[in-house]
Amino acid sequence: MVQFFRFTMVRAALAFFTLCLVSFIVFSLMELVPGDCAERYLAFKNSQGAQISIADIEAERSRLGLDRPYLERWTSWIFNAFQGEFGDSCILRLDIGQLLGQKVWLSVGICLGSLLVAYAIAIPVGIIAATSRNPYLNNGLRLVSYLGLALPNFLLALIIMLFSTVVFGDSLTGLFSPEYRDAPWNWDKIKDFLGHVWLPVFILGWSATAFAIQTVRALMSDEISKLYVTAASARGVSGRRLLMRYPARHALSPIINSLGFDLNRIFNELPIVALILTLTEAGSLLIEALARSNDQQLAGAIIFFLTGTIVAINFITDIVLALIDPRIRRSILGS
Amino acid sequence: MTENNIYDASVDQDAKDAYFTASQGQLIWTRFKKQKAAMFGAWVLVLLILSGVFAPFLTPYDPTIAGRDKDYLNGAPTIPQFCDDNGCSMRPFIYAVERERSIQTNFRWVTTVDTDKRLYVKFFVEGSPYKLFGMNFSTRLFGLDDGFIHLFGTDSTGKDIFSRTFQAINTSLAVGTIGVFISFVLALIIGGISGFYGGWVDSFIQMVTDAVRTIPAIPLFMALAAFIPDTWSAEERFFFISVLLGFIGWPTLARRVRTHLLTERNQEYVLAAQLCGASSGHVIRKHLLPSFTSYIIVDLVISFPYMVLSETALSFIGLGLKDPVNSLGVMLQNVTSADVLLNYQWYFIPVIFFIVLVMAFVFVGDGLRDAADPYGDTKK
Repeated sequence: MVQFFRFTMVRAALAFFTLCLVSFIVFSLMELVPGDCAERYLAFKNSQGAQISIADIEAERSRLGLDRPYLERWTSWIFNAFQGEFGDSCILRLDIGQLLGQKVWLSVGICLGSLLVAYAIAIPVGIIAATSRNPYLNNGLRLVSYLGLALPNFLLALIIMLFSTVVFGDSLTGLFSPEYRDAPWNWDKIKDFLGHVWLPVFILGWSATAFAIQTVRALMSDEISKLYVTAASARGVSGRRLLMRYPARHALSPIINSLGFDLNRIFNELPIVALILTLTEAGSLLIEALARSNDQQLAGAIIFFLTGTIVAINFITDIVLALIDPRIRRSILGS
Repeated sequence: MTENNIYDASVDQDAKDAYFTASQGQLIWTRFKKQKAAMFGAWVLVLLILSGVFAPFLTPYDPTIAGRDKDYLNGAPTIPQFCDDNGCSMRPFIYAVERERSIQTNFRWVTTVDTDKRLYVKFFVEGSPYKLFGMNFSTRLFGLDDGFIHLFGTDSTGKDIFSRTFQAINTSLAVGTIGVFISFVLALIIGGISGFYGGWVDSFIQMVTDAVRTIPAIPLFMALAAFIPDTWSAEERFFFISVLLGFIGWPTLARRVRTHLLTERNQEYVLAAQLCGASSGHVIRKHLLPSFTSYIIVDLVISFPYMVLSETALSFIGLGLKDPVNSLGVMLQNVTSADVLLNYQWYFIPVIFFIVLVMAFVFVGDGLRDAADPYGDTKK
């Protein structure tokens, strides 16, 4: 128990260290881009008609604390970031936490949903594909997984939009119907939300599913030809019971390990799919922050948050794996 | 009977000799040739690369605003045909189109097709001048003496989508090549140092690599690309974007190089070289690198489509390349409007080419990976 606790602590420390490193990279990149928050805000003011001088910029800079040394600013940024405080956005002058609010949770929810859907499809299909000798099934699946790679999610989204516009006359965009957009959460809104959310979940899950099927199949076919499976079937275990109790358990633990990176891939697609399907409630805020206003404070916060989610998932999967996989548990306990 | 046997044995011996004396490259090529899907992919790929390189010759018009057809905006594709109600002709032709605005059309521009007026398609016609391999040409594969031909239609400014598509293939290949090259060099250096020295250097580099890998690349990429000053020219943007792609793509390859080096550096032949007094650089260059060139080539082919797709995604949302540089993403920039979705579906024709391009890369990459695996034959 103590050892397990120590293992958890070490993992947590590692995750924390990774986050610090990531925050340093993100922060440095945000610093490297030309112009800072003060200039940007005052340029924005200037475009609104106010007269701006160099002295104003300097005053704004010292008000925002931008004249302090680099490392000091990074330390204070990271301290605040861990408390969920990202400061004010450059242009909008609003608290970033408030600005992102439920949008972030909606986006993360959609991504996790797609991940769930992807594996809910991929695990049974992958196992069947590995065990079946049916050439049509295997070639069909191979084609699907190639397509999953060659048809990136945003092209798929475009094609679905094209198709639905031509056939149904409705482009299936948005997350809520207009009448529910600003309404408080209630049963009707949830129903409306579920009626819209399946499409982004499907589109985001599309290439993840293709990848996952490929992985599950490869892992399963590796395991299935091993001796312990033959031994088990010689003892008279057969059918689904054989698959579930022996090779599937072994094959699936590496998959748990790679969940974090699958989530990474889905996050990659989110902003663009969100833009196409006009999900203003989700990832397209990032594009807005970047393309329209060059808001580095907001962009940094979003990227940090996304990465934080991935690091958290990686941490959780490590712990879960240690709990359910006796091989790993033993290597930790060192017995 | 016996003669036959001897003959068979000698043939067998020849085949064996050929097998055992074949170089790594020959072995991979032999195995690669056996895979039909991969070979097909390779042919398609070669065809697409050639059509990208010779794009100016194969297409009838300049893909930029200079080559626009100002009388045929958002025009439907004009398909050459051999026959119509007025009889057949040996030479394919299209109909002339006319654009007019008058009281009959409620003062809007209306394009009408004149089915009585044929425009014959000619081959090797003199068109607008272009540069290829630094030389000036003006002969285009096909075109019209008078009027315009638009196989894939035109866009909202009257640019020929056919010409733009081929130019876009060219651009995507160039972006991919630069990006893959940069990430390849970075991966080789970083993975090489990490794998060759091992120990704490390795642990530290791996920690950094893992941290970089957890950052979602495209959002980060968008953050960086958004800050390109507007004053940059299209070419500068193009170069910057390709370099950025390279800088983000290295961790996966670096990891693979490192893992391979870690296993290889403990092999006897490395020890032997070191005992003979070879320097680290010599061991890396002469012994370690050749041991996994084939894997690296395979990885490069596999990572190529990702570069192309990232560029497309980025340009699509308007943060990547911009007009007059053509790429698939640039061409798809405005297609989400309802107007295009309902009325101008030929905007989507280039998508087919890109799916084929990426698929071809995936097939070839997969085939190469199987072919480069020295145990591929014995496994089954």
